[in-house]
Amino acid sequence: MTNQLLVIVQIAGRRCALSALDVKSVIEIGTVTPIPRAPAHIAGITALRSQALTVIDCRLALGIVQHAWPTDARAAVVAEGGHAYALKVDQIEDITTAIGEPGQVPGGFGAQWSRVATGMIETLTGPALLIDLSALIAGPDTLRHEAEAA
Amino acid sequence: MDDLLAEFIAETREMLEASSGEIVAWEADPADRARLDTIFRFVHTVKGNCGFFDFPRLAALSHAAEDALADCRAGRRDPDPQMVSAVLAIIDRIAQMVDAIEAGEDISNANPDGGDQALIDAVNVSRETSGEDGASAVKQGSSPRLHAPASALINHADDGATDRAVSSRRADPSATQRTIRLPVELLDRVMSGVSDMVLARNDLAHRLRQAGNQPTIDGPFERLTTILSDVRDAITRMRMQRIETLFSAMPRLVRDLSAELGKQVMVDLDGGDVELDREMIETIRDPLTHIIRNAIDHGIEPPSARLANGKREIGLLAIAARQSGNTIAIVISDDGHGLDEDRIAAKAIATGLISAAERSAMSRDKILNLIFEPGFSTAEVVSNVSGRGVGLDVVRQNLEKVGGSIKVSSQPGHGTLFTLQIPLTLSIIAGLTVEVSGQRFAIPQSYVEEIVQASTTALDLSHMGETALITFRGNRVPSLMLADVLGLDTSADAARDPTLVMLRLASGDLFALVVDGIHNHGDLVVKPLAPAVMKSGLYAGSTLLDDGQPVLLLDVANIAAAHDLVSDGRARALQPVADEAVKPAHALPRAMLFTDCNGRRSAVRLELVQRIETAPVSAIDCSGPRPRVVIDGLILPLIDLPDTAVPAAENAGRVRLLRLSDGACELLVAVRQVEDAVELAGPLIPVPEDPLAEAVTLVDGQPVTLIDAHELFARYGAPPVVAGRPRCSLPADDWARTILAPLVVSAGYEIVSPESADPDAITIVFDEVFEAAEALGRGLTGPVIRLRDRPEATAGSDTIYRYDRDALLSALTSAARFAHRPGGRA
Repeated sequence: MTNQLLVIVQIAGRRCALSALDVKSVIEIGTVTPIPRAPAHIAGITALRSQALTVIDCRLALGIVQHAWPTDARAAVVAEGGHAYALKVDQIEDITTAIGEPGQVPGGFGAQWSRVATGMIETLTGPALLIDLSALIAGPDTLRHEAEAA
Repeated sequence: MDDLLAEFIAETREMLEASSGEIVAWEADPADRARLDTIFRFVHTVKGNCGFFDFPRLAALSHAAEDALADCRAGRRDPDPQMVSAVLAIIDRIAQMVDAIEAGEDISNANPDGGDQALIDAVNVSRETSGEDGASAVKQGSSPRLHAPASALINHADDGATDRAVSSRRADPSATQRTIRLPVELLDRVMSGVSDMVLARNDLAHRLRQAGNQPTIDGPFERLTTILSDVRDAITRMRMQRIETLFSAMPRLVRDLSAELGKQVMVDLDGGDVELDREMIETIRDPLTHIIRNAIDHGIEPPSARLANGKREIGLLAIAARQSGNTIAIVISDDGHGLDEDRIAAKAIATGLISAAERSAMSRDKILNLIFEPGFSTAEVVSNVSGRGVGLDVVRQNLEKVGGSIKVSSQPGHGTLFTLQIPLTLSIIAGLTVEVSGQRFAIPQSYVEEIVQASTTALDLSHMGETALITFRGNRVPSLMLADVLGLDTSADAARDPTLVMLRLASGDLFALVVDGIHNHGDLVVKPLAPAVMKSGLYAGSTLLDDGQPVLLLDVANIAAAHDLVSDGRARALQPVADEAVKPAHALPRAMLFTDCNGRRSAVRLELVQRIETAPVSAIDCSGPRPRVVIDGLILPLIDLPDTAVPAAENAGRVRLLRLSDGACELLVAVRQVEDAVELAGPLIPVPEDPLAEAVTLVDGQPVTLIDAHELFARYGAPPVVAGRPRCSLPADDWARTILAPLVVSAGYEIVSPESADPDAITIVFDEVFEAAEALGRGLTGPVIRLRDRPEATAGSDTIYRYDRDALLSALTSAARFAHRPGGRA
């Protein structure tokens, strides 16, 4: 797994890595139909051919409400749990190769980042945060619910 | 009848195939409880099914086996080898008989006794003595193959009935339709491929329209469209079947069961046009049959008891199906004596399902739902019809296997209501697209009872606390604002002039959903939504419109439940009886009642009314000898418009129009207010003085003029004309031809040459040309758009930079309006 291919994206100004195996394609995002009363990080649904994609705003999925970053017109399409999602990020950079296994850093990444990150991973183009898709898609509410349950 | 028989044979054979493995395993280990249950259910189902065909031999055999197995289950008897053999012999015999039945032989004659009695005796005899005679009877009766029912189909046995059955089946293999089995996943893939193709076609169609008429392409494209829609239909049919195929067997089943049990039961079926997966239909067939059996056997009382309780002699069994996106709800309700909470609880404690302490902590609802636990039955007398408690636990098991659920609710003395929920991962449903606050949503058509468009006052909207009520056909109906439900901003427009979609739930409850407008209806391919979105409880799925725009499908049942609009009561079951009493023997002509613009109450036969339109006053063109209206791109004649602009003042610049059609021609009648559809019960009195009136009649004691449609269409009817596109002339240079023209065409304008001197055409010119023309005194007629070369505007001149797309388009729009408003030809 040392030569794992990664798609490097920017979320809220941070370099993040998605496993290239998870990313089905990168699309130009068209009209997004909003979903009333859905969780905030779900921006809506959009159509990819005859398929409906759920659009996830990655910044809001991390509980970051600021809009200080530009948003890429392209989105990464991923499949998780039998459903297809389009991830709205700051920018989709490039595909690169991982060096080594994901690891932790002293002090952690902060509550929200730790929730969605598998760990830090070194790549040919520098370090990036390896993202756990299911945690990212679940959105910021899950953390709170877990805290309440505990 | 033949259908039912074929189904019976197919089902029995399928179960035989499925249980053959179990039978072998059971023989190896007769103490295996799970196998015993499976075999027991098999013979139980056979017994139940053959009860309403006249197969006494099958019934006797399966009954004997069931008795023996029931004893084993109850622990009254140990499954010794003799008994196992005897039961297996009976199952083999059932397989032979099924073959014989399919071959069209009369099984009661083919083999008069056939040793049935010996088999039955063998099962019973071994109960007392495990002697030799039982075992030898088994050998005698069953021929040598004890646990290989499948071999009955291919072997060369000595049994005459089997031989003939097999040979006649072989002789004519082409008589039955050839089928193959396919993995469902493959079908799904083909189906989504076809959906993609439809979208690609729509996209292509859109581009072709933009490019204009191209005969060489249009022909093949038309053919492609036809083929594609054929393929789509076929694919859809591959998976879908109307639930009617299941329902059609119900009346017969109910009739036979009630006759057998000495009860009188009327069955009411609703929602037969709901379509669902073939697979699903097969899955719910047994559960449904079991529930109906239970309802008739245990639920509905004998006529004498019903009369004593002040009920109608005839019991009512209502079965209704509704589809909501990815689920189908089937509600089976009877008006019998309901479930007895205490008896269920006592039974559950007796069988050790719950403890007495647990019982006191349980709600009535929970106790009622104990009837789905394995090994539970409250019937005191075991009858031939509903069994020994296998019914409901199997029902639940089967439904849960496909991700469905079942629940029961009941009011003592009033009846029982079973609700089955069955999921559908992918389905095509008829849906209605509605708009609220600028966003579109889809509603499954099966819920939609009626669409009502009326003013707030006509609906008598009143607020009772938090709940809004409207009066609809004399009933107070709760209503929900869709915008509130979804938390969207309510537009003031909608509040004044709402459109109501009347929705009827599977439980029979009616409520109104207030929306801003209706778009259209059509087949929608429903796709599942991400779990986080489903959690909101408002949506059942998503679908794509023809233009590729995704739209959310509302989960009507869930929304209603969330607002407490669903009653568990008896509304549905009791209602049809009341309706029947009111309904007259023959259908009366129906008419649409309205108040015309002169305040006169009139009516027009309902069949003529295509729909009710609302058009802005600006869409009316009065320049010709007769006023006309543009609706949906068609020019239609308008009659009965008042001379003054009364409607403008009353309805905020809009006119209510009745769109009438005789099949070929369409025309519009302007009305002040549309009232309701009524039945013309009173006598029709001809009015020879007024050629446009067919008759005068009384509705609710008020005189109403019925419009003479023949005269109306003879005078005013005209086939609709497609409205022309606005025309535009462009500068004659390369830039305009290659860069400007496509933009103008795609905005919906027709390009004409400047020489045509069409006074309505919008002229786009460069500013220097315009100024030169002005200077020469040859000013241009009609609206003019002036373009400049440089982005910076020169002060004082009304020009647009030639690459400013937005400004150009808005100038075109306003110019078009200017060109058409005063005396244009629309």
